[in-house]
Amino acid sequence: MDKNLFLYKDSKKTFVLIGILTVLQSLAIIAQAGFLAKAIITVYEGAGFSALPFFAMFFLAHVFRHFLQWLKSRIAYRFADQTSSQLQNDLVEKVFMIGPKTISRQGSGHIIALCLEGIPSYKTYLELFIPRFLSCLLIPASIVIYVFTMDVTSAVVLIVVMPILIIFLILLGLVAQKQKDNKWENYQLLSRHFVDSLRGLVTLKFLGRSKGHREAIYSVSNKYRISTVRTLRVAFLSSFSLDFFSSLSVAVVAVELGLRLINGQIDFLAALTILILAPEYFLPVRELGNDYHATMDGKESGEKIRGLLNLDDGEKQVMTVNLPDWNKESELVVRGLTKTFTEENRTVLADIHFTIRGFKKIGIIGLSGAGKSTLIDLLSGFTKPTSGSFFINGVEIPDFSVAAWQDQVTYIPQHPYIFSGTVKENIMWYAPNATDKEITEAAERTGLSELISQFPNGLNEKIGQGGRALSGGEEQRIALARALLTNRPIMFFDEPTAHLDIETEHDIKEIMLPLLDNKLVFFATHRLHWMNEMDYILVMDGGRLAESGTPDELFRKNGVFTQLVKVHRGEVS
Amino acid sequence: MRNFNKYIRPFIKQYKWFMLATVFLGFLTFLTASMLTFTSGFLITRAAEAPYNILMLYVPIVLVRAFGIARPVVRYMERLVGHNTVLKILADMRVRLYDALEPQALFIRSRFQTGDLVGTLADDIEHLQDAYIRTIFPTIVALFLFVFSVTSLAIFDPFFALWIAVCLAVIIVVYPLLSLYFLKKRQIQVKEKRNRLYKMFTDAVLGISDWMISGNKERFIFQFMKESRETNKIEKKLADWNHARTFQLQVISGLILIFVGIWAGFEALEGEILPAYIASFTLVTLPILEGLIPVSNAIEKIPAYQESLERLENIDQYNGTQGVVGSFEIATNPVFYFEHVDYTYGSNKEPALKNINLTIRPGEKVALLGKSGAGKSTLLQLLIGAMKPDNGTVKIGDLSASRYGEQIYEVISVLNQKPYLFATTVENNIRLGNQEATREEIEDVIRQVKLDQYIHSLPKGLDTQMEESGQRFSGGERQRIALARILLKNTPIVVLDEPTVGLDPLTERDLLDTIFKTLEGKTVILITHHLMGMEKMDQIVFLDNGAISMHGNHRSLLKENERYRKLYRLDLGEI
Repeated sequence: MDKNLFLYKDSKKTFVLIGILTVLQSLAIIAQAGFLAKAIITVYEGAGFSALPFFAMFFLAHVFRHFLQWLKSRIAYRFADQTSSQLQNDLVEKVFMIGPKTISRQGSGHIIALCLEGIPSYKTYLELFIPRFLSCLLIPASIVIYVFTMDVTSAVVLIVVMPILIIFLILLGLVAQKQKDNKWENYQLLSRHFVDSLRGLVTLKFLGRSKGHREAIYSVSNKYRISTVRTLRVAFLSSFSLDFFSSLSVAVVAVELGLRLINGQIDFLAALTILILAPEYFLPVRELGNDYHATMDGKESGEKIRGLLNLDDGEKQVMTVNLPDWNKESELVVRGLTKTFTEENRTVLADIHFTIRGFKKIGIIGLSGAGKSTLIDLLSGFTKPTSGSFFINGVEIPDFSVAAWQDQVTYIPQHPYIFSGTVKENIMWYAPNATDKEITEAAERTGLSELISQFPNGLNEKIGQGGRALSGGEEQRIALARALLTNRPIMFFDEPTAHLDIETEHDIKEIMLPLLDNKLVFFATHRLHWMNEMDYILVMDGGRLAESGTPDELFRKNGVFTQLVKVHRGEVS
Repeated sequence: MRNFNKYIRPFIKQYKWFMLATVFLGFLTFLTASMLTFTSGFLITRAAEAPYNILMLYVPIVLVRAFGIARPVVRYMERLVGHNTVLKILADMRVRLYDALEPQALFIRSRFQTGDLVGTLADDIEHLQDAYIRTIFPTIVALFLFVFSVTSLAIFDPFFALWIAVCLAVIIVVYPLLSLYFLKKRQIQVKEKRNRLYKMFTDAVLGISDWMISGNKERFIFQFMKESRETNKIEKKLADWNHARTFQLQVISGLILIFVGIWAGFEALEGEILPAYIASFTLVTLPILEGLIPVSNAIEKIPAYQESLERLENIDQYNGTQGVVGSFEIATNPVFYFEHVDYTYGSNKEPALKNINLTIRPGEKVALLGKSGAGKSTLLQLLIGAMKPDNGTVKIGDLSASRYGEQIYEVISVLNQKPYLFATTVENNIRLGNQEATREEIEDVIRQVKLDQYIHSLPKGLDTQMEESGQRFSGGERQRIALARILLKNTPIVVLDEPTVGLDPLTERDLLDTIFKTLEGKTVILITHHLMGMEKMDQIVFLDNGAISMHGNHRSLLKENERYRKLYRLDLGEI
C-alpha cells in the first residue's frame, strides 16, 4: 500500500466516500444475485409471469450496482484530476527553482517527459488504484460473509482459494521481474537498435553500409521478438494463475454444490445464488491484475515525481533586497566564493575574491574545466554558491538569485535559445511592451535587418522549433537584439562565438562591441581576441582564480595568462 | 481509411493465419468462459431435480471442470500468440520504414525541418502495435462472438435470435460508432492541446535561463497551468462520457438478460428446451456480453492511430535520383575536378553554388571555409554524388561523381560533424569501417588515433558499450573513435565536416594533429570554421554566397590578401 496516497488534499475523504459506496455496491451485488436466482427458479417452476417482480428487483439491484460504479469512477477521476493538476503545478514551479544546471544534469528530456507524460500516468494510477484497491478489500469479504451464512462449505472453498491465488500472483510476479532484470540490458539494446539505426542512418550511408543494414534490422527485431515472447511466457503466467484459480474454483464450487443438491444438503435457491456470486467474488482481484501494468507504471512515475519535488534546490531564506541599478559608482565585492557539487563531492570553484567598480568589461579565461562557466552561472544567479559573501554597494546579498540583481541581468550563452514564435516575439522576449519602432531599431543595430527583409513574413516569420531554422550567427544576433531592447546594465556572456565560423565571428564582434559600452560585462571565452577588448581579466585555473588584472598587466607579468595564450596558439603543448 | 494501405492492410494479408489463430483463441476464451457458466447452470438445475443416479450428472460435471481449466489456458495462449504476431509485424514494419528512409537519408533534415523526426517515426511504429492488440483483435473477436451467439440462438428460435441480434447490435455497432463520431473531435482537440503544451514546456525548459532572468516565470507558470487545466477539462469530459457509456451498456446488458430469462421460460413451457436449461441460457448472457462491451473502447481509439499513419505515409513519397550501379574499376588515386559548377535548390531564386572551379590532386589537403549558408554543404553533397550539378561537371577520376552511386563510399569517407556512434561496443563501432578487419587492425587504428591507452584502461576494453552509464566518452574521444572507423575503411579521399566544432582549443589542436598525421598521403577535404591548422593545407578555399571568394595557400593568402590577414590575426588573438 502506497502511504503517499494519504498525503494529498481530500484523499482521506475520497477513500471514505469510495469505501462507503463499495460496501453499498457489495450489498447490491448480493441482492442482484439473490433476485436473479429467485427469478430463474420461479421461471423454472413454470410460474411464468410471477417471475416478473423478481426480474424487476434484479434489474433494480443491477442498475443500482452499476450506478454506484459510475459514481465511484467519477469521484476517483475527480480526485485524480485535481491531485495530478496540483502536482503538475508544483513540478513546474520546482523546475524553475532548480535552474538550468540541475536541469541539464537530470536531463531536460527526462524532466519534460515527467511533467507531460509522468503526470497523466500517475493520474491513471490514482484514478484506478483507489477504487480497485477498496473493491478488492471489501467486495470479496462481503460476498464470502453472505455465502458463509448460506453454505459453509462453499464459503470455505472461496476463502481457501484467495490466499493461494494471491501467493501465486506474487511468486510469479517476482519470477517474471527477476527474469526481466537479468535480461534487462540485452533487452534494452535490442529494443533501441531500431531507433539507433535510424538516427545513425547518415553515418551508415557514409560508410556504405546502409543498404546491407536492413537485414540487421530484421534479424535484431526478430531476436527482440523471441526474447520478448520468452519473457512474456513467464509474465503472463501471473494473470494465468489468477484466471486459473478463479475459474477452477468456480468449477469446484459448481460441482460441489451439484453433489450436495442431490443429497438434499442445500436447497436450489441457495445453490444458484452462490453459483452466481462465485465469479463476482473473484472479479475485483482479476480487475486489479488486468490493470497491474498501467498502475505500476503510474506508481513508478509518482516516485520519480516525488524524487524531483524533494530535490534540494539550495533554497536559502528568501530575502528581499533593494538594490539601485548598477551605475558607474556601483561596487561589487565577492569574497571566498566556493562551489562544491554535493553529489560528486567535487569542488569546482574554491575561494574566489575580487572587487569591481563601475562599468567594466571583465574577461574570464581558462582551460576547459577551469571553472569559467560555473563562475558565470553563480554570478548570474542560476546556481547557488556553497559559501562566500557578496556585497553590492556595501549591502550584503545571500547569493545572486535575488530578484533585485537578476532584474538587471541579461545572459547570452553559446547557443541562445530561440523560442518557438515569431522573430518579433523572440526579440521582445524581455521587453513585452516594446514598440515596433524599437524592435526594428534593435534589429538594425544587431545586423538582423537584411535577414528579416528576406523573410516572406518579415518580423512575423516563425522561428524556433517548428519554424525556420537559423544559423549560429543569426541566433547570436537575435540574443543580442533581445539584450539591447531591455537595456539592462549587467551582461553575461558564456562562450558566445566559439562555434561560429571566423568570418561570422568577426562580424558579430563588430556589432557586439558598441553594445558593451557603459555596462558591467562578464565575458567567459576561449577565444583570445576578446581579451584585448576587456578592462580586466580573471584567469581561472583548476577552480581557482590564478591571476587577475588588466590585459597589459597580465601580458607584462609573463605568468599563467601568458602561458595560456601560448598554449592556445600552439606555441607550447 | 486510405491510410491503412501501407502499414496495416498488407500485414493483415501477410500474417492472416497468425491473425486468424489469435482471433480464434480470443473467441475460444469467451466461448469457454460462457460454457463454464452455461454448464454449471445446467448442473445445478439438474442436481436440484434430484436424479436417481449420480451418473446422470457425470457429463456436466466433467464439462464444468474442463471448461474451468480450458478458459485460462486458452486465454494464456491467445495472449502469447497475439503478441508474437504483432512483434512479427513490428519487425516487418520497421524494415518497411527503413526502406523508405534509406534512399533519402542525406536529405531527411532538409526535407522535414522538424526536430527529432526519426525518433517520432520509430515511436509511431511502436504505437501501431496497439492498433492490432487493442483495436483490431478485440473487434474481430467480438464480431465472431456475436455471429456465433446469434446463430446458436437461431437454432432454437429464429425470431428471438433476430431480436437479440438487434439488441446486441446496439452494443457492438451503435455505441462504438456513436463513440467514434462524438469523441473524435474532442480526442483530436486533446491531442492538439497536448502537443501545444509539449512545445510550450520544451521551450520553457530549454530556454529556462531566459525565463529566470526575465522575471516572467510566474507569467509562464500561470499560462501553462491555465492551458493544462483546459486540456484536463476536455479530458474530463471524455472520461465522463466513458463512465456514462459503461453505465448505459450495463443497463442494456441487464435488460438483455431479462429478455433471455423470460424467453427461456416460455421455450421451456412450450417444450422447446428442457427446463434445466433456463438457468444456463439466462446466466450465459453475462459472459457473452463481457466480450462485446469492449468494442466501443476499441473503436474509439482509431483517431489515435491516424496521426501516426499519416506521418508514416508521407515519408514514402520520395523519388530520389539513384546513381547508376554497375561494376567498374575504382581509381586508386583519383583527381577531383569541379568545372563551372552551378547548383540551385528546387524553387529558390538564388543559386546555392555559382561557377565553382576546383582541382584537387591526389594527396592534397584542402580547407573549405565559409559562413553558414555559403554553400559548403551543397558542395559536399555534389562531391559525394548525392546531387547532380545543374551546369558543369563534378568528376572523380574519369567518372562523374553521381555515376558512382553507392560505390562512391569506397572512394570517399566522410567524417560528419556529429558522427553517430551506435549503442554497441567500441569495437563494433570501429568495425563498421571494415567488417573483415582483424583484431590487430583494430588495435592498430586505435593506436593511431591515440585512444589505445584510454580504451585499455577501461575494465572491458574494446568491449565497452558506447553509452553504458551515461556519457562515457567526451566530444574529442568520440571524434577519435569515428576517425578510427574512417582509418579502418581506408579510402583514398577523406572529407572531414567541421570535426572540431565545440571542442576547446587544446583538444582541437591535438585532434587536428592526429587527423593530419593519420591521414598522411590521402586526399583530405577539411570543412572548418576557423583558421587553426591552415599552415598545413595545400589549398584554402573560402566560399561566400555560393562563389569562391578567396583561394590559395596559407602563405600566399597571408601575403596577398588583406582580409585573410585580418582573420588570421583575429584567430590568433592578436587583435
